[in-house]
Amino acid sequence: GGADVLPAPQNLSIHSTNMKHVLTWTPVIVPGERIHYSVEYQGEYESLYLSHVWIPSHWCSPTEGPMCDVTDDITTTVWYNLRVRATLGLQTSDWSILEHGFNRNSTILTPPKIEVTKDGFYLVIELEDLGPQFEFHVTYWKSEPDAQAHIKVVKSGNIPVHLETMEPGVKYCAKAQTFVKAIERCSAFSQAECIEVQGDALPL
Amino acid sequence: RCPSSMDMNPVKQSFQEIKDAVQVNDTFKNVTILSNLHSVKVLSPLDTCCMTRKLLEFYVKRVFKYREELSLHISRGVSSISNSFLTLQRTVQPCKEKSLCPCSEAATNATRTINNNYDQLEVGSAAIKSLGELGVFIAWIDKNYHQETSTA
Amino acid sequence: MKNVLQWNPPEGLTGFAVSYTVQYFIYGQKKWLEASECRKINRTYCDLSAETSDYEQQYYGKVKAIWKTNCSKWTETRRFYPYLETQIGPPAVALSTDEKSLSIVLTAPEKWKRSSEEGFVSMQEIYPTLKYTVSVYNAKSNRTWLQYETNHSLVLSWLQPDTLYCVHVESLVPGPPRQGQPSEKQCVSTLKDRTLELKIK
Repeated sequence: GGADVLPAPQNLSIHSTNMKHVLTWTPVIVPGERIHYSVEYQGEYESLYLSHVWIPSHWCSPTEGPMCDVTDDITTTVWYNLRVRATLGLQTSDWSILEHGFNRNSTILTPPKIEVTKDGFYLVIELEDLGPQFEFHVTYWKSEPDAQAHIKVVKSGNIPVHLETMEPGVKYCAKAQTFVKAIERCSAFSQAECIEVQGDALPL
Repeated sequence: RCPSSMDMNPVKQSFQEIKDAVQVNDTFKNVTILSNLHSVKVLSPLDTCCMTRKLLEFYVKRVFKYREELSLHISRGVSSISNSFLTLQRTVQPCKEKSLCPCSEAATNATRTINNNYDQLEVGSAAIKSLGELGVFIAWIDKNYHQETSTA
Repeated sequence: MKNVLQWNPPEGLTGFAVSYTVQYFIYGQKKWLEASECRKINRTYCDLSAETSDYEQQYYGKVKAIWKTNCSKWTETRRFYPYLETQIGPPAVALSTDEKSLSIVLTAPEKWKRSSEEGFVSMQEIYPTLKYTVSVYNAKSNRTWLQYETNHSLVLSWLQPDTLYCVHVESLVPGPPRQGQPSEKQCVSTLKDRTLELKIK
């Protein structure tokens, strides 16, 4: 019943892909009752200098679901502590703290989706928009033996970017990886895509 | 030059979000803490490192510890900035370890003045004023480090 | 660095002969100063570029309304820091073409100056990391693509002959987002391909 101590959430864990960080936990079940949760965080600065200071999560203080997108809370590349407690009316459980903390430099970076097209003789690439934290390192080359590869840094996705002026009759290929400056890490490369502009026929 | 660059973008971003809210709480317009930073003619690139290290320390050890009476919006911003400063300190720390961060008299005097300015005010007012003047520190870093971001 | 204070007229007084007086304050100094060009003016803006020309300082502005013998309270701005907050205007863009290429020459925007006698100061001198985003639109394929540029000139070769290309350019300084002011869109057509005409004859 209500007078009993409200159990604390269990099994806290964090899943992070492409700089989106989601905290999950096992829901607290009280038959017939709707449980809410509060999530709080502290960065390394707080744990070093102000260990008593915890900051309510941007989106989850309170929240209903047994999960919380903490991306807007984890804004720097240091270790963070995260904690969750359950609330039922005026009753609150103990805090459960994420074991080992979290640093966003452990996020999983997936290869970006790319689209290689041409505009007349121009080799153009369009990249998936993954948000402001992401740059793209695009590698492109002529599909010929010993062809030299070129690299271009593309600042943002979903806008076509000019790579190269193509010679007619030659196949050109491109692939891309994401780069997140905030954590100094790259993703794996995408699959290469190739394209060719017709021989000396007039460009469309 | 050590450190070769300082990535202030996360700090600029967070400061942009709380700047107006912090500065409106600073009612002493006629007093400044960092503004002599522009008049300090940093003599050599080596001075830049020392000034950077001492200013980071000033904010980490004195300013960011003050969290009372801050709104939740400002607290989140200060938390983000203070944790970014920890990262910046780790950028500068190797320079000190390699003795590439000596402090000239000019640099020492300049940072002493800043700390003295801070001491003239009640701690809450001093912290709010220093937070509101982060833009001066950002601009100083911009000018002294010319962040060259390479784009083909 | 052209810094203009703007305001809305007080409510309920439209049509009345209201005038305004402006003052400004240099953060860290001792007192408010008169904006000499903006004493009892009828317009609702005041160019404070001269007063705020030291872009390393921070400033406040305030304005009050005057109607007959009545004065309103002062309305004050937030703190303004030109170095971090000024908008960076677009570069000057010069285009020239031949059959298959388009040359784009960019001249960095100029810092505001008091008078034409004053020397030219480029915004590049104040912001060495100034870059440009060049947007190129091919009217025939109806496609736009971008090019990030740090240099002041670029040549787009192997274009399609007899095709209209439109270009606009925006200045970019790394750091917190500043409102961008893209240049006017300029369009130019590549020349007809004369080798084709010879073949047809």
